[in-house]
Amino acid sequence: MPQLTTEHINYIIKDLHYRGLVYEPLQNELVDHICSSAETEMEQGKKFIDAYQEVLKSFGHTKGLRETQRQTIHSENSMFKAMLKNYLTIAMRNLRKQSFYSVINITGLAVGIASCLVIILYIFNELSYDKFNAKADRIYRIDSEILFNGNHLQMVTASAPMGPAMKEVYPEVEDMARFRQEGTILVKRSIDNIRETNVVYADSTIFNIFTIPLISGNPKTALVEPNTLVLSESTAAKLFPNDEDPIGQTLILDNRHNFKITGVYKDIPRESHFHFSMMLSMESLKDSKNDEWLSHNFVTYLLLRDGASAQELEAKFPKLIDIHVTPMLKQMLGPDVDMDAFLQAGNKLDYTLRPLLDIHLHSDLSNEFEPNSDITYVYLFGAVALFILLIACINFMNLSTARSANRAKEVGMRKVMGSLRLHLVNQFLMESILLSIFSFLIALLLTYFAMPFFNDLAGRQISIPWTNPAFVIIIFGASVLIGVFAGTYPAFFLSAFRPINVLKGNMALGMKSGLIRSGLVVFQFSISIILIIGTFTVQQQLSYIQEKKIGFNKDQVIVIQDAYAMGDQLQSFKDEVLKNSAITNGSISGFLPVSGTNRNDNVYWPEGADPSQDNMVSLQVWSVDQDYVPTLGMEIMEGRNFSRDFPSDSGAVILNEAALKMFNFTEDPIGRKIATFGGGMGANGKPNSVSFEVIGSLKDFHFESLKQSITPVALFLRKSTSRVSFRFQASDTQGVINTIQNTWVRMAPGQPFQYTFLDQAFGKMYDSEQRLGKIFAVFAGLAILIASLGLFALTSFTAEQRNKEIGIRKVLGASVSSIVMLLSREFGKLIIIAFILSVPVAWYAVNWWLESYMYKVEVGVVVYLLAGLASFLIAWLTMGFQSMKAASSNPIDALRSE
Amino acid sequence: MYRPLMHSPELLKGTLQTILLKVLQDNGKMYGYEITQKVKELSVGRILLTEGALYPALHKLEAEGLLQTETVLIGKRVRKYYTITVTGKSLVKERVIEFREFIKTMSAVLQVQFA
Repeated sequence: MPQLTTEHINYIIKDLHYRGLVYEPLQNELVDHICSSAETEMEQGKKFIDAYQEVLKSFGHTKGLRETQRQTIHSENSMFKAMLKNYLTIAMRNLRKQSFYSVINITGLAVGIASCLVIILYIFNELSYDKFNAKADRIYRIDSEILFNGNHLQMVTASAPMGPAMKEVYPEVEDMARFRQEGTILVKRSIDNIRETNVVYADSTIFNIFTIPLISGNPKTALVEPNTLVLSESTAAKLFPNDEDPIGQTLILDNRHNFKITGVYKDIPRESHFHFSMMLSMESLKDSKNDEWLSHNFVTYLLLRDGASAQELEAKFPKLIDIHVTPMLKQMLGPDVDMDAFLQAGNKLDYTLRPLLDIHLHSDLSNEFEPNSDITYVYLFGAVALFILLIACINFMNLSTARSANRAKEVGMRKVMGSLRLHLVNQFLMESILLSIFSFLIALLLTYFAMPFFNDLAGRQISIPWTNPAFVIIIFGASVLIGVFAGTYPAFFLSAFRPINVLKGNMALGMKSGLIRSGLVVFQFSISIILIIGTFTVQQQLSYIQEKKIGFNKDQVIVIQDAYAMGDQLQSFKDEVLKNSAITNGSISGFLPVSGTNRNDNVYWPEGADPSQDNMVSLQVWSVDQDYVPTLGMEIMEGRNFSRDFPSDSGAVILNEAALKMFNFTEDPIGRKIATFGGGMGANGKPNSVSFEVIGSLKDFHFESLKQSITPVALFLRKSTSRVSFRFQASDTQGVINTIQNTWVRMAPGQPFQYTFLDQAFGKMYDSEQRLGKIFAVFAGLAILIASLGLFALTSFTAEQRNKEIGIRKVLGASVSSIVMLLSREFGKLIIIAFILSVPVAWYAVNWWLESYMYKVEVGVVVYLLAGLASFLIAWLTMGFQSMKAASSNPIDALRSE
Repeated sequence: MYRPLMHSPELLKGTLQTILLKVLQDNGKMYGYEITQKVKELSVGRILLTEGALYPALHKLEAEGLLQTETVLIGKRVRKYYTITVTGKSLVKERVIEFREFIKTMSAVLQVQFA
């Protein structure tokens, strides 16, 4: 058998190496294999070089060789567990070694993830409203839109006969239920009254439509009889504290009506757009059987059959409306007015179906059971969550690539030792996934502690669903995903280093990849500045609302609720209280210029003219007493207030500016008269009317949220006993409350004493804005914090990188301040660019938000400059600390090592 | 020139490990080239192990602890010998039984009586 010479063998080794066979364990083996093979070939008389070529061919030449090598390495590494362990060990070691950066990375990411998590839980909570209803996707509410004589009403209420008619006429309506809001009532078993809010009249069919399970009682019969009611579980517990069975017991409502309890229902879940404490049977309400198609007082829900289309059903509405409403229009506006003429005059009478699941986030109409949320908040917070997470991820990427210079040697060394790019990518990804998992663990802890504060801020009861397997899986999945996302760029960036460059030392990659990194820093700070501007704007608008001249004096007024419980003694109660010298004025009226108090409207026209579509004005009709205007601090512009000296004032009216404008009374309004329907028909075949003389004009005042414009209001001297308001002197608030309470208890024993302050009730109208402002401020702060953390680490890294440069500069006579300038200048530039970029975006966003206000603050340039300055200051302080440290260090420490 | 009928690589794919383990059990210490020759001989030239499949498989079996190796210096050349480990041996038995069962099943499925 021919033997290969040493030259032959050397030739083979060299050639194989040249062809890219470098994996040592395989190299030796293949050389031996090829030699043996070649020897066999040579046995048949071939020359060495031919034999070698023949053998190479059987390997598939260079390509085959490399493929074999790749396959071999791959099959060895498929010992996945062992490799994983190795990656893990090295990753842990690296994190420990670089503990400063690791801590900053983990902290930033953890805070970012925690914020994100809180917001995501909030969004999910928002999206879950009303889903507890088993038939939720088939339930629709009838919304109405009425445009009449310039008055635009969008309400959740429909007329009493509409729901029943629809159920009867349309086959696709499976069932129908109506609610009539009753608001607050007094409830007693025998002696003491309890005040119950959120009371409604309800059709017996609600149990078929909504998922409101009865704990006791029969849902089929519970609300069928007149004068029956069902209680929520917690109301029952309040009224029957000793575990008595409420079923069959009688309750006295508002000191007058006896109702029998026929059921107790489970408390309605928090994620619902209504929460009733008790429901009275609709049969007990006479109005529910009326035929007034133009009186909108009933919130009506339809349950459609499976597969029925809401749009198709809506299209059938106008016909039904036409049939029923036309006779009423003729009666009201004259015989020649029919539906078409009514609509052609620019009026509107529209009914639409709103899906139940849309209500919480999309519905903001008059007469909602409770204020709903808004989908824009969901988008807004979603965007904030995404931004914060992005900022945190960017920190991560920046720090990893910045540190690349320190790790470049490691990469070079590993590559020289035979590491493949894949190994390095795996190694770096492993490190970032590990960081991400640590961050998630800390983030979960942070979320756990932060959740109560957030709930407080947002007025929610959101809990972390620890036990939900989907939550756990998503959290774990997200932590790996974020690890991969944040780690991909550094991993591919670092693993692409060419060992020859790195090890030769001509590698300044820490600085060189600056463009992307600068871009990311700019992005971070742009977002931070936008958030700061947003926060400032919300705060400004809020204080604008609080301080705007609202047309009345909301301070120092106490409002006693449910004053009608006092019965006939109400006037003497007021007189009694006024004996206290600290109390200057008192007025009995349920109508107050804050939302949630009595409202009532009716149409009027200037007396003398026939009522027509053109001259009728829809007025807020408020019943007040003589002391109303001074008590609330409103301003009479012309004429006079109601007075006890004029017995004729019962036929008088005071109009606000908006009303005068609608009547065209702007010139010389005093003494003019307005008229309204008096009920029934007169001898001349026209409807009867009654008229009122204008005795005073009132400066416009806001009585709803500033989102709405001021509508016409008329004050009449009539009885309205649901509230008493007192104006008092600032000195002794508690004393005033005590005086009033003592008088109350003495004169109305057993009746609950409830009071609010007018300014508080006013502030409550802006609850959601206040919450928005606070939440926004918190998250803007967090975003800035995370961005600053990143900047802090970046500067400290730069300072470290330029350690020697700084040392040399100092030796050559540079001052500390010039070095600080040098180090801050680079990032200072970035902040300025960020500011320039963020201003237009912020401007657009801010205007979009303010759009929804009728009365809004002018956001001046100052806000923008302030935001820019704030972020610049924060950034500069962050950098300044590091720069100072670097600049004031002893140059010897930096230079002596060489 | 006479060319023996070759078995298709698809058919062999699943049996490569079994072949390697069994050959090494029967013949003791062997090196890569020797194994290809042995298999060629046993199969009367019908099974030619390609190097591209052989070495990845050998290294994988080694990494899994079924084979162990020793290297011997032969002049300028380094020769790597593979022997089967105890775990490897127990696996061979399983694999061979498994393969026998497989043949039986195939015979039933294909309705062919194997000799």
